[in-house]
Amino acid sequence: MNASLLHRIWAHRHFYLFISPFFLLFAVFGLYPLMFSFYLSFVQWDGLTPMTWVGLGNFQNMFHDEILLTSLWNTLIIGLLYVPPMFIGAFVFALLLNSAWLRCRGLFRAAFFLPVVTPMVVVAIVFGLLYGQEMGLLNYLAVKLGFARIPWIVSEEWSKISVSVLLVWRWTGYNMVLMLAGLQGISNEYYEAARIDGANAIQRMWHITIPLMRPVFIFCSIMSLIGTVYMFDEVFVMTQGGPGTSTTNFGLYLFNVSFTDFKFGYASSMAYTIAFFVFLASLLILRLRKSGTE
Amino acid sequence: MMSRRTRQILLRLLTYVMLAALAALFLFPFYWLLISAFKAKDQIFALPPQWWPSPWRFVNFASTFEKTNIVRAFFNSTVIAAGHCTLALFLCSLAGFAFAKYPQAPGRDKLFAFVLATMMIPGAVTLIPVFVVLCKLHAVNTYWAMIVPGAASAFGIFWMRQYAAENIHNDLLDAARIDGCGEFTIYWRIVLPILRPALAALGILLVIGSWNNLMWAFIVLRTKNMFTLPLLIYLLNCENRTPFELIMAASLLATLPLVAAFLLFQRQFIQGITAGAIKG
Repeated sequence: MNASLLHRIWAHRHFYLFISPFFLLFAVFGLYPLMFSFYLSFVQWDGLTPMTWVGLGNFQNMFHDEILLTSLWNTLIIGLLYVPPMFIGAFVFALLLNSAWLRCRGLFRAAFFLPVVTPMVVVAIVFGLLYGQEMGLLNYLAVKLGFARIPWIVSEEWSKISVSVLLVWRWTGYNMVLMLAGLQGISNEYYEAARIDGANAIQRMWHITIPLMRPVFIFCSIMSLIGTVYMFDEVFVMTQGGPGTSTTNFGLYLFNVSFTDFKFGYASSMAYTIAFFVFLASLLILRLRKSGTE
Repeated sequence: MMSRRTRQILLRLLTYVMLAALAALFLFPFYWLLISAFKAKDQIFALPPQWWPSPWRFVNFASTFEKTNIVRAFFNSTVIAAGHCTLALFLCSLAGFAFAKYPQAPGRDKLFAFVLATMMIPGAVTLIPVFVVLCKLHAVNTYWAMIVPGAASAFGIFWMRQYAAENIHNDLLDAARIDGCGEFTIYWRIVLPILRPALAALGILLVIGSWNNLMWAFIVLRTKNMFTLPLLIYLLNCENRTPFELIMAASLLATLPLVAAFLLFQRQFIQGITAGAIKG
């Protein structure tokens, strides 16, 4: 029995050979780090001096960490500010680009999609320029139109909105392309049948398009959730998380704790905890898929 | 009362106007980047704003080459993107092919399930340990630190497996075996050419990610001669020493390659992004 298993493994040695590079790299840069950072969650370590075991201390500290709580709150607010307009925009663009009568589709699609291939650091610098308090183009237009200057990225009230505008610009095209692919996957027969049954455009949208797009919507939601929690470049370059901590999201705070304060232990416990909640939230969103089709 | 036809035409016209306006709004930051890269510093911050550079200062680019490390950074970014992309494509196509075409291998399904499970690990959790590992391997501040860690992409394997399963026929492989081809020769000569569209799409995703990566470059690259374009631009912007028009010129240079590639290969880009998502 055992000999025959060995024989079968030997017969398929190429299979194991071909997958081994991946598993080798994964062991070094995936599995080991995963276990190591789990261990780190229970120690204090700056990367240089010896580690000290603190048990659950790191996890307890999280509850008293004002900046952590603020960063989670900021993550939530920024998410609420930018995801809905981005979602609606992406869906409307996708619907329009999917209509047969529209010309220049490639052109429109390119215009909305270009932000996705642009280096984030460049985007953040250009937006910073446009948002400038005295010399920025947006405030020039605001004054010209008779409004007061808007403190885009220099006031705590506006900074989240300004970051959200950048995020809408950055991610609408990405979601649009995903939704467009979803729309193109819907068979025309459904619409034909509905038309024969006398369903109007709104009914077709409500009873065919939206239900069939549910998997795409769910995928986009999960991507947005993960993207907002772990967002980094956008705020790191444009606002450094400020003014104050008003645009510090979880991703930026985690980075600061890790690589500015070098609190490797505490950072690991935060990363694990939040990853757990993100995972739970993703499962919850996935549940929507099931409950919807029943 | 308007006829149905007129109303439809008006509605479509309105849609065009709206789409064109929004497209212009989306393109506007690119326009601003472009003209700022050709302005003098006081023109960038002039009030009222200058909508068109006069004159177009090509000298900005000459000074950028001269005063910043951009040529070297361009080279570094290219080496890293090419290296990362090549390594990941090789690993993923080899493993994806194996998972698709050796169904009898003991433990195949369990191993594949394991690969899928690794997709759920968020990068944020392993950030610090990967950095520590790289320190121990003395790989910090080398190309390897940028090329290797992300190359074992479970998602890439999943994708390659799907594509290989759908597009490579067993008869073809068996025929090659009868002709005496070794398994690796089969992969190299027969499988890889068939996988080409999937490789192109995945490669585009990998290059976008690598070319634009700021955070990891910030963590593992230390000396000027190793900086990538995003890191160089970020640091120039922080230091406040470099004239701003040079930063804009550098930004334009960092943006152009992918934008140009996208405009040339729009379909492959879109396929890359969507195939990645719908199947993932």
